[in-house]
Amino acid sequence: MELTELLFGEYAGLLANVSRYIAPLLALLIVVRCVRSMLRERYEPETWAYLYLPGEVMVPLRHWECIVGKAKSTDACITHDSIDKLHACLIRDAAGGWTVYNLGRGETQVNGRTVAEGGLPLADADVLTLGDVPARFVDLTEEERASLLKYRHRPGRLVRPAGTLLLLTVFQLLLALQQLTYNPDADLLCAMGFAALAVLQWVYFAVLRTSGQRGFEPELLAFFLSTVGFSVAVSSVPGAVLKQLVFLAAGVGLFLFFGIWMRDLRRMKSMRLPALVAALVFLALNLVLARVTYGAQNWVEIGGFTFQPSEFVKILYIYAGAATLDRLFVNRNLFFFIGFSAACVGALALMNDFGTALVFFVTFLVISFMRSGSFATVFLAISAAALGVFLVLTVKPYVIARFATWGHVWEDVYNKGYQQARAMSAAASGGFFGHGAGNGWFVDIVAADTDMVFGVVCEELGLITGLSCVASILALAAFVVRNASSGRSSYFVIAACGAVTMMMTQLALNVFGTMDILPFTGVTFPFVSRGGSSLISCWALLAFIKGSDLRANASFAVKRPEKFSGGAGVEEVPDAFPDGPYDIGGPDTGGYVPTDGPDGIDWQREDPPEATR
Amino acid sequence: MKKVTSRAFAALLLAGLILLGMAVYLIRLVRDGGDWASFYANDSVYTNGVIDRGTVTDRNGVLLAFSGREAFGYAEDYSVRVSCLHVVGDMSGSIGTGALTAFRSKLVGYSLLTGTTGSGGTVRLSIDSALNVTAYNALAGRNGTVLVYDYETGQILCMTSSVSYDPNVGFDVSDSTYDGAFINRAISSSFVPGSVFKLVTLAAAIENIPDLWSQTFTCQGTYDVDGKTITCTGVHGSLTVEEALAHSCNCAFAQIALQLGGDLIAEYAEKYGLTETHDLNGIETAAGSVDSAGSDRANVAWEGIGQYNDLVVPYSLLRLMGAIANGGVVKEPSLLYGKSGGTERIMSQSTAEALSDMMSYNVEYNYGAGNYPGLEMHAKTGTAEFGDGTSHAWFAGFITNPDAPLAFVVLVEHGGGGYAVASPIANTVLQQAVFG
Repeated sequence: MELTELLFGEYAGLLANVSRYIAPLLALLIVVRCVRSMLRERYEPETWAYLYLPGEVMVPLRHWECIVGKAKSTDACITHDSIDKLHACLIRDAAGGWTVYNLGRGETQVNGRTVAEGGLPLADADVLTLGDVPARFVDLTEEERASLLKYRHRPGRLVRPAGTLLLLTVFQLLLALQQLTYNPDADLLCAMGFAALAVLQWVYFAVLRTSGQRGFEPELLAFFLSTVGFSVAVSSVPGAVLKQLVFLAAGVGLFLFFGIWMRDLRRMKSMRLPALVAALVFLALNLVLARVTYGAQNWVEIGGFTFQPSEFVKILYIYAGAATLDRLFVNRNLFFFIGFSAACVGALALMNDFGTALVFFVTFLVISFMRSGSFATVFLAISAAALGVFLVLTVKPYVIARFATWGHVWEDVYNKGYQQARAMSAAASGGFFGHGAGNGWFVDIVAADTDMVFGVVCEELGLITGLSCVASILALAAFVVRNASSGRSSYFVIAACGAVTMMMTQLALNVFGTMDILPFTGVTFPFVSRGGSSLISCWALLAFIKGSDLRANASFAVKRPEKFSGGAGVEEVPDAFPDGPYDIGGPDTGGYVPTDGPDGIDWQREDPPEATR
Repeated sequence: MKKVTSRAFAALLLAGLILLGMAVYLIRLVRDGGDWASFYANDSVYTNGVIDRGTVTDRNGVLLAFSGREAFGYAEDYSVRVSCLHVVGDMSGSIGTGALTAFRSKLVGYSLLTGTTGSGGTVRLSIDSALNVTAYNALAGRNGTVLVYDYETGQILCMTSSVSYDPNVGFDVSDSTYDGAFINRAISSSFVPGSVFKLVTLAAAIENIPDLWSQTFTCQGTYDVDGKTITCTGVHGSLTVEEALAHSCNCAFAQIALQLGGDLIAEYAEKYGLTETHDLNGIETAAGSVDSAGSDRANVAWEGIGQYNDLVVPYSLLRLMGAIANGGVVKEPSLLYGKSGGTERIMSQSTAEALSDMMSYNVEYNYGAGNYPGLEMHAKTGTAEFGDGTSHAWFAGFITNPDAPLAFVVLVEHGGGGYAVASPIANTVLQQAVFG
């Protein structure tokens, strides 16, 4: 208070009061700008190679991983009796090389050589025999590559990220002002913490902008959520701001590391098994070393430094759980994944960390559904889980107690409903705009700044800010799903969906558990809840989400253009097929039916690729 | 790839569920936010568990209670404090049905938009504190309650309950005379109704005994039911049904009750809202009970007379009086100034008119219109025998003065005869209500 009075004299109180109304509106504006920017870019399908079927029917391959088969859901649907529903899988690597894998019972040959389990490389003009159908594989010409690149380099329709970043900086300034005015324990260090936060995000922005990046929405949303979380930390433990900043910086660092790591899919894939082993080691370590906090045995202390291994297992779980298309349709892989998941969920259940176990389980459902597409598998998993839940409930009395309180917190406000009744009271008391950062009482309740943080946010920063936080996570989900339609590798799509599922499940359990819509399970709100492990892991998970972003100059997954194009003169090359092959094929055509027998095929390479428009 | 990308929508399913959950939360927030925000643990509006903002006044703006961060207090005048105690409530929330507790969300100034970030609010009650003082004084230290309400607008003008105490002083909890001092007898207690209940039995008879008006009933002071004796207050001889009500003849009503049967009487009590709880501006009132199931015929007779297991909440009886006055339609009472409740038809117009005429006849024929100067009185007395030999004195009814459509209930616990004890109190209060 003294500091603000020194700065603004008698207007200090008034200023803080006015800022109370401005801050939530800024929060909303920041989220709206990010959402608009993320969702207004149009996605045009890209074509990476062609298959020519008998009769010169051309099938474009629009992803880096394509399935060829009889089923309508394949990427290249060829209706012929000798072809399996899912016959083969064609995968392109970052360097431009293609590999074909056989998926079905039928046979696949490249230039007469049968494709075995390890797959066979596929080069331009190779003859790919699928069952009895011969097809010619045609890679992109240099012109087409260049045109694709040029297309990707058209100016985007992003909402200027610098403007959003400026709004976020003002938001941080207002929160700092409010903390200094309302929170008697907030000191200069806290205000400097907000400043450091602003510096961190501007440095991040400057570095990536200089290197040509222009799309920052997922990071901006994460910085926004982290800002709200930072304010909660200042309200809760003003002395720990430095620690919180260090965690945030570590999170951003890990995010960047993963981002760069992800550019090489092969490197990424090669580390899947080590990641899986690391996850299990972490969990085992946890079971052996952990101490019990709030009923859950999920904290480990090493050398005076406490952390939650389960938070890091989340990253490893997604890393190991996502898969490329060639592995997806091998049941052995799926069962292996189910076993791995069961080990993770089981270990968490053993630790009494029922909430995190639930987060893993929902993520497992989404990943396994994406991998198998089979509801039967998912139902099997659900029934297995139901049995597990039943066992947990019969064994763990505190879990039963929480379920018994569910929906009845107002009937027992002195005991079992103590925290939640207060959370709802605090949240309602904040109205749309809140009492101001640092001006709440709920934050002093046990676990309010972590498992019930939604109550703190609504009380201090208002319902508008609370809903903006929820909207941020949902926006990330919409972003991921939208990106999936043009995704190149299923690995990125699955990993991004897994990561965003994890965040959404945490959000749901946190918000709805706090507000007595679901049983209270004690799970953190992504980025917002106070705590180092959780913050770091959220930023790392964000890398997977960012990895699904394929927009030019916004992506981790796509390498910088000059490395990618191989130095071809981009400017001079005219558009080889401005709208050309984008309209053909798809599920409506019902698949390409070879019109002639194998004998009637014209093998001439020079054919123009427009005939089938 | 297409397979995987189309499956990405599984993640959107979860987003949909979150939206659904948020909708549930917002609906609950809109519905219950005021209750949540006025929860005593909300430190932004409570200091040491005491609400620290807001004002309660009566209909004329007389201050009944105020609260602030530095201080809180009640009405200046002692009589106002005591007579309005149960309506206003107390700061510590001991009187759960008082305005300070029941209308907390108004006092804390809650709104969905501002939460409790603004200033406190004012609750203006419909009661006239001066009328409450008169009523409380008329009870003269005896336990009981007085209720008066405008049966056309629903505004409750008088609601006082005794035993009461001065909230500035409190009371000695070891003193048994203060037993039940936290209870608003008007809405939270049920009592044996005695003869006021005969109106319910009568209404059932009007609608279910076709030759009721041509029947004559014989009263010899007692009436024998299967070897058990129903006693009467006198020997009334041969009576029409009108005379039976005016004399409140137990023998006649025993015969009527037996013609109806216990279940039908209980059904009417329920239909008229006597055995149900009611919502008075969000305050849940107590429920009465009327039941002789499985009992013998003598008890059915007593049930029709308002004894046996019959219990009635004064507030529910007030609603019934309002309905009879209003041609069978209840205007739901309200404690908040200018706030109007809904309406509900609970009896046919013809039944209501017949009851109204007979209640007027009671006054003309037995109670004496001169006892209620200037009032167009319709009423029924009750002298409810209590197990210990004492009786609750009841007087319930309404006046049809054109500019004062008021229904009332007076109850004096262990007070004696309804006519002797409760009726003068009703007159005193109504005289002030109508003529100032």
